[in-house]
Amino acid sequence: MAQQKRSKRFEVLENRAVHKDGFIGEWIDVGLIAMGSPNDPKPSIKVQNGKVVEMDGKTRANFDMIEQFVADYSIDTSVAEEAMSKSCLELARMLVDINVPRDEVRRLFGALTPAKLAGVMAEMNIVEIMMAMQKMRCRQTPANQAHVTSAKDHPVLLAADAAEAALRGFVEIETTVGVVRYAPFNALALLIGGQVGRPGTLSQDALEEAFELQIGMRGLTAYAETVSVYGTESVFVDGDDTPWSKSFLASAYASRGLKMRFTSGTGSEVQMGAAEGRSMLYLEARCVMVTKGAGVQGLQNGSISCIGVPGAVPSGIRAIAAENLITMALDLEVASGNDQTFSHSDLRRVARTIPQFFPGTDLIFSGYSATPNYDNMFAGSNWDIEDVDDYLALQRDFRVDGGLKPVSEDEVIAARNKAARAMQAIFEEFGFPPITDEEVELATYANGSKDVGTRNVPEDLKAAERLMKEGVTGIDVAKALAKRGFRDIAAALVMMMKQRVSGDYLQTSAWIASDGTVYSAVNDPNTYQGPGTGYQMSEERWNEIKAIPWAVNPEDI
Amino acid sequence: MQLSQELIQKVIAEVLAEVMNGAPAPSSAPEAEVSGIVCTEKGKAARGTDPREVVVAVTPAFGTTFTKTIVDVPHAEVLRQIFAGIEEEGLRVRVIRVYHTADVAFMAHQAAKLSGSGIGIGVLSRGTSIIHQKDLNPLSNLELFPQSPLLDPLTFRAIGKNAAKYAKGEQPTPVPTKNDPMARPRYQGLAALLHNKEARFIDRNKAPMEISVTFEG
Repeated sequence: MAQQKRSKRFEVLENRAVHKDGFIGEWIDVGLIAMGSPNDPKPSIKVQNGKVVEMDGKTRANFDMIEQFVADYSIDTSVAEEAMSKSCLELARMLVDINVPRDEVRRLFGALTPAKLAGVMAEMNIVEIMMAMQKMRCRQTPANQAHVTSAKDHPVLLAADAAEAALRGFVEIETTVGVVRYAPFNALALLIGGQVGRPGTLSQDALEEAFELQIGMRGLTAYAETVSVYGTESVFVDGDDTPWSKSFLASAYASRGLKMRFTSGTGSEVQMGAAEGRSMLYLEARCVMVTKGAGVQGLQNGSISCIGVPGAVPSGIRAIAAENLITMALDLEVASGNDQTFSHSDLRRVARTIPQFFPGTDLIFSGYSATPNYDNMFAGSNWDIEDVDDYLALQRDFRVDGGLKPVSEDEVIAARNKAARAMQAIFEEFGFPPITDEEVELATYANGSKDVGTRNVPEDLKAAERLMKEGVTGIDVAKALAKRGFRDIAAALVMMMKQRVSGDYLQTSAWIASDGTVYSAVNDPNTYQGPGTGYQMSEERWNEIKAIPWAVNPEDI
Repeated sequence: MQLSQELIQKVIAEVLAEVMNGAPAPSSAPEAEVSGIVCTEKGKAARGTDPREVVVAVTPAFGTTFTKTIVDVPHAEVLRQIFAGIEEEGLRVRVIRVYHTADVAFMAHQAAKLSGSGIGIGVLSRGTSIIHQKDLNPLSNLELFPQSPLLDPLTFRAIGKNAAKYAKGEQPTPVPTKNDPMARPRYQGLAALLHNKEARFIDRNKAPMEISVTFEG
């Protein structure tokens, strides 16, 4: 058969970036559907003597372990019948109605079942979801989180990139590894670099849970996030976990004064082949409720590492915004995704970020890649450092606070250099494989790991193991820095260690300012109730956002 | 993407056919197709005593329902390269099929626990691999290769070689990490489909089986 004659228009379209993305039709039986699967249960509740005896069409005797957990710990039974008697549409309207205060919405949503939460979201279009986010996020002032990783796990480069990320305004920085045994050094690099860039920066090392807790208790990290919860029993069990074991882990962090949040997201269950035919958003509603029931202050969601799955099916990106909103409506801090590559198309990339960027969330990205994406060991973020001037321009174009600020080349170079030199001093003090002056210089001026050399990896790994064996703590690091003349960084580190004693940053949605002041949903609660209320950008902050260094100054012409 | 689309349709069609016919998911490995390897189950996998062995764990669908990885590396080639990597370090290889989980970390940890050297490798049908050691936590690892689309034959050889070096008590330089930020948008939906298929063969009550592998042609 002769080749069908092709339209030149269609040939052009097929070569556009969007055609490299995976798009898949819904497959309801396995749960490859974003919202509203016909297999999702219908909302219902029955409370007897303060106990949930029926939920979403199932009697207590038939609850799986997740249902039992959320029925016992997540649902405010004193309000349940009042809240559940309202229709999904009525509840959806309350979310966007500026005349219904946030507290009233929160009171009712704390008593809804997973199926009801998913049902409310199904009533909302994307703009309504954004309007509701503006009102429902816990903390009034938005903020941002960055990824700081290196394809070579290069400790000097990591410290320099951490310093730059903190300087640019990220209040939290997160790392992970290419080679897992490098983890102690990655934590050390972010701890030091973060405090160089801006004292008060919170840092974490996303790794195996036992290790993550251990380095947190040592003071090498300031918070944790990679404590995953799932929406079906089988995925939980596959990871040797239950909602109770995750709660226990959460309380271990709290007992040591360490901030932590859970992680979940649409698509994980179907990615692991165990969605039991339910929609992604319904299962995610269960995850948010498990988080609430565990008493944890916040949640990272917005699909996260499984975004290729909801991103491939219809209404998937809307579902992702909806899961952020469910989290806010349950009064939890949300670190709202935007943290993983999901599209080859720049247009889709930007559009995916709009629902969190314009309304603002507690942490708009979780996180933004503070390195080029080739160094992003979370397998790439939706935005990377090479997009940062676009991001600054968007803040300025729309007068939106996205948490970042313009910086000069000189101050970035100075911060990177100081962090690299501090790492050099620490390595020498602790007897780790030396960091040469050349490595300091390369890391200072680098864009990514292609611009720095390769270290002796087996020797570094032996030293990293020694750091763990010898029980090095944050205070040891502070002492060594003070001894080597980095007294300001040492003081910042000691301030961070003291935070675990006062515990203020365990409050919902907390971040720490340079002077040690903690801002959270307690002292910076969201008071949005329509135009003129809620977050109002200060003159000072607006001047900062306006001042992108590459704008032409009319006075100079 | 054309091949991938075909694969997606094939997987969906196969699974739908199963559902339509009401046939239960098979609890043991189905008949071999043209994977280039023949795997014969030799009974329940036992704990090894030879300190010079590395145990490789594969899923029930490996080399049977599936015959190649997400980027079309034939399963025969995957095993040939891993075996070669192990053997060029002078060590022996033993292969097990794990039925109770399709979580690659737990599979590899199971392999490590059965391995005389305490070192195991886990490989999923789509290629995702991990080197594990018996005394580590299951979700930790010695080396992890999470991005299946980036695993080529030489990487599998390097994985075998490094696993053997760990078994000998050496501290090898880890296999250089590859990272393609665009692998997810291109392949994750497909990976989800493949994993749903892979997970259909899980049998929580079935112990790991030792298998012998012969290469055809």
